[in-house]
Amino acid sequence: MHPTIDVVEEDPLADKALLEATADWCDRYTPLVAIDGSDGLFLDITGCTHLFGGEQALLDDILFRLLQMGFKVQGAISASPGLSWAACRFREGGVIAEGAAEEVLGSLPVASLRIDDQTVAALKKLGLKEVGDLLSVPRAPLARRFGGHVLLRLDQALEREEEPISPRRPVAYLSVERRLPEAIQAEDDILGLTARIAASLRPNLEARGAGGRVFELVLFRVDGRVFRVIAGASRPLRDPQKIANLFTERLKAVHDELDAGFGFELLRLNVLHHDSFEEAQGDLVGVSRDGAQLADLIDRVSARLGKGVLRGFQFRESHIPERAVVAKPAISLNSDVKDRRAPAAMTRVERPLRLLPRPELMEAFAATVPDGPPSRFRWRRVLHDVARAEGPERISPEWWLDDAASEERDYFRLEIASGHRFWVYRKGHYQPNYQPTWYMHGMFA
Amino acid sequence: MAKYAAAQERLFALRETIAKLEGRSPALVVEGQPWAGKGSVSRTFPRRVFFGVPEVDAALDEGIPLDGITEIRTLSMRDAGAGSGFALALAAVIQKAAEASALLWISDRVSSGEAGLPYPIGLTQYGLGVEDFLHAVPRKLDDALWLAEAAASSGALAATILEIKGNPSSFGLSESRRLNLRAKAAGRPILLLRHAGEEEASSAVFRFCVEPRPASERPLPDGSMLGGSIGSSVFRLTLEKSRNPAPISFILEWNSHDRQFSLTRQSELSRLSGRAAARSGALFPASGDRSDRASALGRLLAFGRAS
Repeated sequence: MHPTIDVVEEDPLADKALLEATADWCDRYTPLVAIDGSDGLFLDITGCTHLFGGEQALLDDILFRLLQMGFKVQGAISASPGLSWAACRFREGGVIAEGAAEEVLGSLPVASLRIDDQTVAALKKLGLKEVGDLLSVPRAPLARRFGGHVLLRLDQALEREEEPISPRRPVAYLSVERRLPEAIQAEDDILGLTARIAASLRPNLEARGAGGRVFELVLFRVDGRVFRVIAGASRPLRDPQKIANLFTERLKAVHDELDAGFGFELLRLNVLHHDSFEEAQGDLVGVSRDGAQLADLIDRVSARLGKGVLRGFQFRESHIPERAVVAKPAISLNSDVKDRRAPAAMTRVERPLRLLPRPELMEAFAATVPDGPPSRFRWRRVLHDVARAEGPERISPEWWLDDAASEERDYFRLEIASGHRFWVYRKGHYQPNYQPTWYMHGMFA
Repeated sequence: MAKYAAAQERLFALRETIAKLEGRSPALVVEGQPWAGKGSVSRTFPRRVFFGVPEVDAALDEGIPLDGITEIRTLSMRDAGAGSGFALALAAVIQKAAEASALLWISDRVSSGEAGLPYPIGLTQYGLGVEDFLHAVPRKLDDALWLAEAAASSGALAATILEIKGNPSSFGLSESRRLNLRAKAAGRPILLLRHAGEEEASSAVFRFCVEPRPASERPLPDGSMLGGSIGSSVFRLTLEKSRNPAPISFILEWNSHDRQFSLTRQSELSRLSGRAAARSGALFPASGDRSDRASALGRLLAFGRAS
């Protein structure tokens, strides 16, 4: 027996989280990182290697850093994901030169082709133990016997067939980053640096005639943890200081979750969404128009308190009062003013200043049958005497939205003796053996 | 000669400082040289608005200042309609005077649940421009205060309406003073709408108490009134805090079409609050045991904390 052995239960969820975190960390090498099963990562390093001094240097860097973190890792660079997979798991990895695929694969077992165990066993029964054996037999009988799968995997490994990897995150529209020789911790430093790297984003945005709507600041901590802070703007932005200002409020809001630890060594600013940018000439005095100030305010508030807190309104063509107006986050409001002006048809009949979140059931007494206002009503346990009333205004359900069972509403404006004015409605009509219900829906000034 | 000029300049500077302390705009400086104001203040934004009713404006001294807090208080949550109505009417007057339309309404959760959310179609009919109407329901009062500060100091809004219920302890004199300073620095108004609130010391220049009154009737083309109809909104306002020593009370009607206040026919300016007059007797029955403690001598200088 081994009394010193330390038994730890397997925890697949924690393993997965660790793999995800490692994938996040690998974002520093390339934006295209995919997870492979439960224990592997694919990195598409096309066009990235020169930044790290070549393929061998890149691979060494990844493996060395991961080893320092305490992982035992195998890595391989090759022209196809399949070949890299095989080389990692069935050889010692390393960089495989182009054209050497057949030579490398030839001596590996057929299991290195990422095919299921049953097929591997069946292939072995036929004496096809190594990939080299598969290469030497004619393809047609193989396809007939095992289906196209085996040949597809073989072709993918030999780069005869294209195999895309599926990255975990969408690729940013634009991305700039700064590697730091010395890690930074202070919020001011982070913001200052954000403004500086945002400045290098500007020429790219200008060249594309675009401005960013949603920005993502990715902070790579020294110990491998990655933080992502996302901030949105209500209109396309290019100005580096304004982009940095978005994160000023956002960082205050996420302050508790953002643990700087020993500092951040890499900052990256991604543009996740963009829009076409309208050039506008500034005022000579430097006083910007109200529109820009309002947009700045909306951005600040949305970054600090969350998108849903600050809302604007848009009108819809509907007779049902609660459907005629939609509240939307101010940051995503259409900048077209026309949608935010009440259509003339809607403002002909009087509507209350405040609408209750949902109509409240109330008791009404001595209503004039069939369609008159009540003379008294009880709402929130208080009895009110109606002094004056106007109505009814009949609103029918929208047959294309409501089901047949929904009933017409008769709206009344009521004024009670003390001067309070309410908007109430009766749902349905008075009929023999049927009492319609009354609802309070809003209040006037 | 030089000495005289220097003395003159000094005197002028002192006058300006006093005017600033008193919250008045030194008329000479501002009207003569529009660019002499602070940089953040938009040159077109007015400093004061008026009700347009001579009697009321006389009581208000110089109109409602647009660089500070104006408090609007209701006695109970039931009066929320009247309170919001008066606050929005003031906002409409400001919109008209400033020719700006952006408004921000900050509600707390209780008020928006009890009294409902602002309804833009109703607001349009009430005389407000709603193209840039924003509404916010922050989770905490701290967030609401931060938002009001940010909104006032951004200078992007014609008015900010901050709606709270009662007198929360985290919104006392120091917080209201802070908010008032922000508004003053930016030159933008904050309307504080306090539902079911007590009188409390605050930095607001004016405090109105609003009560609903029966609406006026709808006018007919021949000048008579349509009996039994519900027309323009009418409020009973009591000016509780101002430079005037006596509280003054008046009944105003809001004409949403012309965006204008007017005195109703039924109303007369009264120097005494109607509430006090209606209940002239003791508020509570005489104590059976001992008499209440003696009231403090001297004039009431500031209300204590109501929270």
